[in-house]
Amino acid sequence: MYNFQKIRGCLFYLSLFLFCAGLPFILSFALGYKFNTRTFKFVKTGIIWVKTQPPGATIFLNGRLFPEKSPASMQELLPGTYKIALELEQHYPWNAEIEVEAGKVSRVDKVILFPVRPSLQQLNQEKFSSFHLDNEKKVIYYLDQDKKTVYRSNLDGSNFEDVAGLPDKIDPVTGWDVSPDKSKIFVYNQHRLAIILFDQQNDADFSSSVFATEYPQERISEVFWHSDSYHLVVLTDKHVQVIESRRGSLPVNLVDLVRGRPEAFYDIKEDILYFSDSQKSPDGSVYNNLYKLELRSDLFLLEKLITQPFGAAKPAQKEGSGE
Amino acid sequence: MNKGIFLKRTLEIIPGGLSWGIIIGLIFLSFLHPVASAVIIISFDFYWIVRTVYLTTLLVMAHQRLFRQKGKDWLGLCRELPSERGFARLYQVVLFPVYNEGLEVLRPSLEALSASHYPKERIIVIMAFEERNALAHDNALILEEEFRGRFGAYLSTFHPDGLPGESRTKGANATWGAKAARKLLDSRAIAYEQVVISCFDADTCVEIEYFGCLSYHFLISAKPHQASYQPMPVYNNNIWQAPSLARLIEVSSSFCQMIESMRLEKFVTFSSHSMSFKTLVAIDYWPTNMISDDSVIYWKGYLHYNGDYRVVPLYVTVSLDAAYSSNLWRTIAVQYKQKRRWAWGVENFPFVVSGFIKNNKIPLVSKIRRSFHLLESHVTWAVWAVILVFIGPLPIFFGGAFFSQMSIAYNLPKITGLLFRFTLLTSLTWVFLSWTILPPRPKGTSWLKQGLLIIEWIFVPFIILIVGSAPAIDAQTRLMLARYMEFNPTLKGNKVL
Repeated sequence: MYNFQKIRGCLFYLSLFLFCAGLPFILSFALGYKFNTRTFKFVKTGIIWVKTQPPGATIFLNGRLFPEKSPASMQELLPGTYKIALELEQHYPWNAEIEVEAGKVSRVDKVILFPVRPSLQQLNQEKFSSFHLDNEKKVIYYLDQDKKTVYRSNLDGSNFEDVAGLPDKIDPVTGWDVSPDKSKIFVYNQHRLAIILFDQQNDADFSSSVFATEYPQERISEVFWHSDSYHLVVLTDKHVQVIESRRGSLPVNLVDLVRGRPEAFYDIKEDILYFSDSQKSPDGSVYNNLYKLELRSDLFLLEKLITQPFGAAKPAQKEGSGE
Repeated sequence: MNKGIFLKRTLEIIPGGLSWGIIIGLIFLSFLHPVASAVIIISFDFYWIVRTVYLTTLLVMAHQRLFRQKGKDWLGLCRELPSERGFARLYQVVLFPVYNEGLEVLRPSLEALSASHYPKERIIVIMAFEERNALAHDNALILEEEFRGRFGAYLSTFHPDGLPGESRTKGANATWGAKAARKLLDSRAIAYEQVVISCFDADTCVEIEYFGCLSYHFLISAKPHQASYQPMPVYNNNIWQAPSLARLIEVSSSFCQMIESMRLEKFVTFSSHSMSFKTLVAIDYWPTNMISDDSVIYWKGYLHYNGDYRVVPLYVTVSLDAAYSSNLWRTIAVQYKQKRRWAWGVENFPFVVSGFIKNNKIPLVSKIRRSFHLLESHVTWAVWAVILVFIGPLPIFFGGAFFSQMSIAYNLPKITGLLFRFTLLTSLTWVFLSWTILPPRPKGTSWLKQGLLIIEWIFVPFIILIVGSAPAIDAQTRLMLARYMEFNPTLKGNKVL
């Protein structure tokens, strides 16, 4: 037993010595200090942390090859400016000058090394003039160059097929969009708005499911889907309107506009229309206002308005409207 | 508030206050001065690595001693001692305080005792039942029928409930049983100096050489009455049936006890232990109102003999039941409660310091050293896992943008990661040693289970979370708030169900 206790005593003091001797080195390392064997002094250093996408890039520090590949950290660097070069085969190199501060980490962790030959893939199989990407359903809709047909494909271009034909009367097409529930699309030009229903297979048979609204006295500037996929918010040069996507529906003017072509943004998540319009001040000068029009069905009795005949509902008057 | 109560409450608050102070202080420091917090955490991490390596080395040494002494003919060695040492006159009183353990727990303990290599005519068995246990008398009768003739004397005692000044603790029952043993010894005119008493948990199965080893160490000791004798507890009774979680915790507990056996200056009695009957009477038996009677009995001896009292490690095993229950969550709960009861040993701190204040004969250095050891061990138990697992990452989370730019913020997770890798390396030693202390695989148990015994060590980090710090914090907080615990025996396997 005595011997065991003697060994244990030695072990205890050895552990104590290891702790006392090792701790200053570990803490100085953690705090970024480096012992300079020439001056016998501790010098505070910094770190460069390099992370690339993709990883595995060769690192050059001030022109000298660093033994590790990215991601890597270069420790115990004296404060100053360092030239970093990152190279990866078949990728564009990346160069920068990095400032290293004492006791700090300079992070170079947002580097993307772009390939020399990027992965480029053509998705369309027909000529088209514009497209809409539906990230939810992972499909892309294309409007063909002659603006007669709507195509659809998967995000990788597969299953490219025509899903709707457009009526001749909508030529030229100014704008189009698929409804949030993916059951129909609208197309419009300056004086005509048409809605085409997809059939159950999400294909359109326009001969039986197209209905159009004419705007002979107004010019349509923008059209948006309401989140319920049933109503459309239409901005013309004279009004902000809502209209149902059914045959024979009449638009309801919600706001009278002063300016000819308002700028507009529709927040479909909240069903809020932001639009600009002009206002004339008493001194005769004209300036712009930005308006917010809430169209949420729970706030706004949209349906009540819609059921009233065209022109019966009194359009909202903007406060201080000059007209 | 009276002065005595004020002192008692102050001493009760110190361990919990210190543990909570460290934890809350480090959390606040992580917000207010993350660099200082990171420096403390790294220092603690490094301290833990050094400590783990040191303790693992002690474990290897203790393990080596255990295996060297395994199978030794201790009884033969006793017989070789000069007759004046008194082996021929040495009696063994074996006391089993029983709470509500059934026959399936008690019978194997008595069988093991009966099979031990010691003259049975000099073994006196006291089965100390609790009167409040409805089955106590029936069980006592059955066991008396079976075992009465196998020992020098066999006595069943029934500890009455609610005696003045007593709590419902194991110590109260053990004291009642020991007093009955005293009457028996008096009636047979056996001198207390010739008697060694062993107080065993009800599920304790002794090794056949236990009493030989105990007698040998008692007889060769220069001051045999100024020592307690502590065997190595292993939880082998049902280790093959126990689920991984329980098995790992119990093996770790055995290892902790083996490590402690190498640190004699800190070594304190735990669970099943033995001591001189003369000393037991002199120090007025086990405490009757404290849960941690197994360790308090040591401190009573230490105070009685003015610091000249020690614990002699016996490198023989006593086997106990691993605590587990019918499903994982119940097992976790059982283990948690058991560890909390062990952590309640923190009640020793006010007891010991109060004793030190009253005793002028113990050297001040010894008082300071022992008080510090006691406090440090409980506080470390309460904070280590919290610091390593929860507080370690806090400076990174709360340090903000400025701190995240600093070298120490970058190096902190690297050093902490190194700690865990290093701890895993030491765990391999523990895995190997755990393999060697296992009893033989019972028939019908698949060899795959033997493989599982190795693989299950990957759950160690999970176990650290369960029994690392939480039970100790719980116990210390209860003591701090004067919400004293009551004794509840641990559910062992399916036996106490």
